[in-house]
Amino acid sequence: MADETQLRGLLLKGLAGEESAHRAFLTEAAALLRGFFRNRLRGAPEDAEDLVQETLVALHTKRDTYDPAYPLTAWMYAIARYRLIDHLRRLRRRGVHNSIDDLDIGDADPEYEASDARRDVAALLERLPEKQRAAIRLVKIEEKSVREAADATGYSESDIKISIHRGMKTLMRLMGEAGAP
Amino acid sequence: MKTGRLIELLARGAGPRRQDHTRRLALTLACGLGLALALITVGPGVREDFMEARMPVMWKTLFSAAAAAAMLPLAARLMRPGRPLAWRIGAGLAFVGIAALATVIALIGEAPEQRMQAWLGGGFPWCVVLVPLLAAPTAALLVWLARSCAPTRLTLTGAAIGALSGGVGAMAYSMYCPIDSIAFVTTWYVISIALCAAFGALAGARLLRW
Repeated sequence: MADETQLRGLLLKGLAGEESAHRAFLTEAAALLRGFFRNRLRGAPEDAEDLVQETLVALHTKRDTYDPAYPLTAWMYAIARYRLIDHLRRLRRRGVHNSIDDLDIGDADPEYEASDARRDVAALLERLPEKQRAAIRLVKIEEKSVREAADATGYSESDIKISIHRGMKTLMRLMGEAGAP
Repeated sequence: MKTGRLIELLARGAGPRRQDHTRRLALTLACGLGLALALITVGPGVREDFMEARMPVMWKTLFSAAAAAAMLPLAARLMRPGRPLAWRIGAGLAFVGIAALATVIALIGEAPEQRMQAWLGGGFPWCVVLVPLLAAPTAALLVWLARSCAPTRLTLTGAAIGALSGGVGAMAYSMYCPIDSIAFVTTWYVISIALCAAFGALAGARLLRW
């Protein structure tokens, strides 16, 4: 798994616009986050995977909040911890009382292949406003360029970019709401 | 959806991102101050003897600006996660300490029979009400800015945003404030700003969630 220096390099390249570096960053981060959340939510691997996905979306949409003067892992785990606390609060608010102390203990294996997350991100995408959904579908799923997506929908290029950006933020919020069973 | 698929979705077409947090924060504060000044002008209006009272207006504005400046590093730091706070809480507390010291020194300098008047201003200290009201636009803008960032310590961030907005609100309030006694300002302005911080701390967890 990647160390601090590698991860930091990948994120900074991603911030500069290098897509493959950003993808590699998210992939490495996912592995570390899986270990982090499984250690803390033993016996609830689907919840852990939900949180991995939630945190990945947060790392992605908020990637500009990383301050290169400080360790990348501090930034990443601060966000992961925030998502975890938010998750536990949501559970409590919904009256799910199974304390994490009672969950069965098993060693979290960060290399373990991702189990399916409990919630379906694809279904959440369907709940986005039409314009945001169209922009994300065309550019992110059908691999069209922003230009092509703009032509296909009649929106301007910056409209498409803003819709994708807003859509990702809305997605993060929906993930939060749909987080607990 | 498998996590690998999600990563693919996120990464595809992810362009460069600018990191212009300082500029956005400066712009937010400038807008907030502008709105507070507009509120003072259309509301109670600047004090009637504004031209003759330029000196006291100026030092009260500077005092308020110093309060905002003392809170600014903490608020800015809390907006982006994973960075140590170090001396930044201390800067805010040090400002309160210096203001308290200034109050004592100013009161010693007053004639004993005028001390109460100099300290309490004679009448209700309206800044306690008006400074939070004038701070509200800045606070709203800062909350909006913070939500676009990633604050992870919401109560503390709320308090810092509240105090910073309070400093900005007090800057605008000093255009109106008719009381020029040093001890009054160093006491009641600080209490008003602390009140803003308390509001911020209470509202932070709710408003800043992302």
